[in-house]
Amino acid sequence: MTERLETICIVCPNGCRLVAERKGDSIEVRGNKCPRGIAYAEAEMTAPKRSFTGTVASVFREMPVVPVRTAGEVPKDKIKEIAEHTRDIVLERAYATGEVAEENVCGTGVKLIVTADMRKVVGHTEGA
Amino acid sequence: MRYAAIVIGGGPAGMAAACAADGTKKVLIIEREARLGGILKQCVHDGFGVIRFGEKLSGPEYADRFIDEVYSRKNIDVKTLTFVTEIEKRDGYFRVTTTSGKGIESYEGENLILACGCRERTARQVNIHGTRPAGLMTAGTAQNLVNLQGVNPAGKCVILGSGDIGLIMARRLTLEGSKVIGVYEAKSAPSGLSRNLQQCLYDFGIPLHLKKTVTLVHGRDRVEGVTVADADDGMRPIEGTEEYIPCDALIVSVGLIPENELAEKLGIITDPKTKGPIVDQYMMTTLDGVYSVGNALHVHDLVDYVSEVAETAGKDAGRRKERATIEVGSRGLGYIVPQKVDVLNQEEYTVYYFRAARETGKAKLTVTVNGAEIYSKKYASLRPPEAERVRIKHLLKAGDEHMFVLEEEDDRKA
Amino acid sequence: MADLKKIKKKLVKAGFPDIEVSGANGGVKLTGEVGKYEDVLVCGALAVAKDSRGVINDVKVKGYVPEKMRVSAVKDDKYDGKSPDVLVIGGGIVGTAIARELTKYALSVALVEKEYDIATGQSARNDGMIHAGIDLKPASNKVKYNCRGNAMYPKLSKELDVPIEMCGQCVLYTARWQKLLFPLIKMRGAKNGIPVEKLDKEGVKKLIPSPGIKYGGFMCPSAGILSPYLMTVAFAENAAKNGAEIYTDTAVTGIVNDGEKITAVKTNRGTFYPKVVVNAAGVYSDVIAEWAGDRHFTIHPRRGVEAVLDKKARKATSTVIGKFVIKSSTGKGHTKGGGVIVTIDGNLILGPSAKETQERENEATTAEEFDEVFSKQVKLAPELKRSDVITYFAGTRAATYEEEFVVEKSPVIKNLVQAAGIQSPGVTAAPAIAEDVAKWAAEIVSDGKIKMNENFDPIRKGIPIPREMEPEARKKLIEENPDYGVVVCRCEEVTKGEIVEALRRPAAVAAVDSVKRRVRAGMGRCQGGFCTPLVMKIISEECGIPLNEVRKKGAGSEIAPRRTKGGER
Repeated sequence: MTERLETICIVCPNGCRLVAERKGDSIEVRGNKCPRGIAYAEAEMTAPKRSFTGTVASVFREMPVVPVRTAGEVPKDKIKEIAEHTRDIVLERAYATGEVAEENVCGTGVKLIVTADMRKVVGHTEGA
Repeated sequence: MRYAAIVIGGGPAGMAAACAADGTKKVLIIEREARLGGILKQCVHDGFGVIRFGEKLSGPEYADRFIDEVYSRKNIDVKTLTFVTEIEKRDGYFRVTTTSGKGIESYEGENLILACGCRERTARQVNIHGTRPAGLMTAGTAQNLVNLQGVNPAGKCVILGSGDIGLIMARRLTLEGSKVIGVYEAKSAPSGLSRNLQQCLYDFGIPLHLKKTVTLVHGRDRVEGVTVADADDGMRPIEGTEEYIPCDALIVSVGLIPENELAEKLGIITDPKTKGPIVDQYMMTTLDGVYSVGNALHVHDLVDYVSEVAETAGKDAGRRKERATIEVGSRGLGYIVPQKVDVLNQEEYTVYYFRAARETGKAKLTVTVNGAEIYSKKYASLRPPEAERVRIKHLLKAGDEHMFVLEEEDDRKA
Repeated sequence: MADLKKIKKKLVKAGFPDIEVSGANGGVKLTGEVGKYEDVLVCGALAVAKDSRGVINDVKVKGYVPEKMRVSAVKDDKYDGKSPDVLVIGGGIVGTAIARELTKYALSVALVEKEYDIATGQSARNDGMIHAGIDLKPASNKVKYNCRGNAMYPKLSKELDVPIEMCGQCVLYTARWQKLLFPLIKMRGAKNGIPVEKLDKEGVKKLIPSPGIKYGGFMCPSAGILSPYLMTVAFAENAAKNGAEIYTDTAVTGIVNDGEKITAVKTNRGTFYPKVVVNAAGVYSDVIAEWAGDRHFTIHPRRGVEAVLDKKARKATSTVIGKFVIKSSTGKGHTKGGGVIVTIDGNLILGPSAKETQERENEATTAEEFDEVFSKQVKLAPELKRSDVITYFAGTRAATYEEEFVVEKSPVIKNLVQAAGIQSPGVTAAPAIAEDVAKWAAEIVSDGKIKMNENFDPIRKGIPIPREMEPEARKKLIEENPDYGVVVCRCEEVTKGEIVEALRRPAAVAAVDSVKRRVRAGMGRCQGGFCTPLVMKIISEECGIPLNEVRKKGAGSEIAPRRTKGGER
């Protein structure tokens, strides 16, 4: 358990510089401009979480790789495992934005979703 | 047929402008790439749309919402893989000539909205010497290769420049299995958003070296290493501090330059500070009927504001005939947009974007009209890489002296 | 024969008593060791003498290990046993011009180039001037070939469809009194048939609207500009069309000679058995001469750095601007002064610098050289800014101690013809040198009974350039091939059609930089930032190369060698 943490909030572009300190059972957070900063700092102290973004392969020449992200946050220490795992995923049909590529990515209980509309690209002869 | 507006550039700015235009009038978007979306197509990371949609979207997702909107609008025509070769100003309209696989075509529009985006400054434009081998490229090119083409230029790389693209690419390359030796920044402070330092570098233990720059690239066919050196306050390398770092790629993220070659050809006056056109609060340039939006106007930090600004222009296109502008003066600012206010056509609120001239502690922005304060705002700290947005209620008249002054407060902590 | 004793005396006097002087191949050979490279140069210069074929400077710097000649990583026996009538070594502008000229005769011709493409050395790394030649030493090979070559370019431009512009060179005085020298300049020009025109300050201002103009100057109207790499490519394409074989990635690694003639030429791709060998090997031409058995000169490489400016800067001048430099009667002082050079493609070039170096192939720029070039040349057009610079490059000139071209039928080796030591004004001189060299080579092969190639076709059609076409012609071209409507390089407005065609031409090379030199994709202000991935994709599709194997230049220069998904990282 971390006792004191200095970090930068990643929730929004403001990038508040947070200082979180454990005071008995509670965590005191300073530097936040909004309540989301408190939640973020508390999570950083106990179980830090991140979103994963990256790409997976597809079978379509016009779109050799397709952007994906986790539909929510996953434990920070799972990020590299997910990155490794996405190397082996191959999409075999044209997914729409938001469609689920994997229900439970690396056992996190979080969905991996496609974040581009492949139907807009696949079948058009000119790639990007 | 004559379009009410021709939008050049189908990225986030161009799409937002087109969608905001009067739905009863015809609008044309001309896009040189195969797909709408601009650079967002290759920005697979998230963080887009927090302000606009309250969601952390990836770049392609953010783009998709606008692409769907564009294609659902009956008044918007889209030409992709179409490149503007010439713009002529005629009497009351513009004639835009394009080339595409279909041939040479010309379109007429009463208004023009320039949304051509920006380009990246290259290694050679920031005094990096040595060879020009494979493996030396800008962060945007690397991002295109990795995220759109699925090929990776870097095994073990150095990144120069701590701008957002540099930071984002440090994380992307790491997740794709490359070793990022470090991010080097000639300035004394990082150039990107603070949250990107955290989630792109610190999360992965990638070192950030401030006041250090790359001076030489080595290797003839492929990058074999780079020489880095300490940088002085003018970002010049200090002799005797050189260090050789073996690597197979140098990714540079050393600044973006608004693309305004079309605007310049039309004789539009640009602001040397933003490197984009001088505009009024509707983003109309110094040439009547021509608007500038998105990163062609000034380099934005957030696409959410790109969309907002472009919508202002899109709504306005073709609405006004008469105008009379006054200058927006400033002190202590890196730049401010708009640089002018049209006093004949004011709305209740006017939105300004500015960057501080330098990093500050506690600071106060004071806005005056003819010397009298009409608005002020206090900041805990300001950094030039993070643009600020203020929305001010005022009614200005011709001849008014309108000033923005940013002053650091005296009681600031050391 | 030169007076060796006199040279020895000079060396002793200059503080080099240990340097040995001997005669070899009709030249003066120096051997020994010195402490620094500057001393090697001093010794070499002292050994220049009349009645000598040149200086063979084998003086070494103590402890210095010279760089090895770069040889392509490709190693096979693909060309083993080839026996062309004439083998040209070197694919620069001189070598390719010679190859083309040779195909006018009924001969089989092969050209070997050690790099991945033709035009990668001096021929790509210069400012593209067609020199008037006013500054050249009278009665030299340089001035002779320069003036002949200059006069050949208008016809060549038409035949090979490579644009030239005779924009003239305006030489500016740096002091008012210099105008008094004009009659002398005019006389010097008249000797070589070079027209010179007087310009007063107002006359200069008409050509150069720069605020920095202080005095008048003079105009050399016969000076012009071209793209030196495009001209090289055009020579090669036309040579190939007329039957010459162009072998890239093929480096000569040794030559077998029996003291009278060459019997075999070894390369990394097999041994050639040519009847005649032409040495057009640029910075390595002395090494080739040595292997061939008739070295009588030495290349002391001289680096030059040049800066390329954005097309927006071109409004500063309509002509090449040079500064008036007074030289001694011997023509010493080896920078030609350089200047502000307009390019055929609409950019400006500032440069070049001149720095002696031991490294023949070091093409890295340094901040010092760049700063020197920029601060010196910007004085000619003070409104130019550092931010106008889009890129810079370095090249190495093949200078000899005589500062003279070696263009000769070897008197020692019967089947060797040399076009060596070609530095500035090599681009201008190349076509004229090629005429003589090809004729000599043909004479040797046919033992004087020259037969012409009746099927020689001098015409090469350039790759269509839609951006320069009239709308109707452009429209028609796109109708025939829609790829000519699709712009890939946004800065230079280069279309997919041009890139595909560049990859289908004779002597084409599937590399991003090869495409760039042929059609300018990536030469604009973003320097390939946007178009590199697109050009890579076109190369991949057109040439059937996986995207991760597409190269920037030669072997080992894959731009993005790893696939992100599947397989090995």
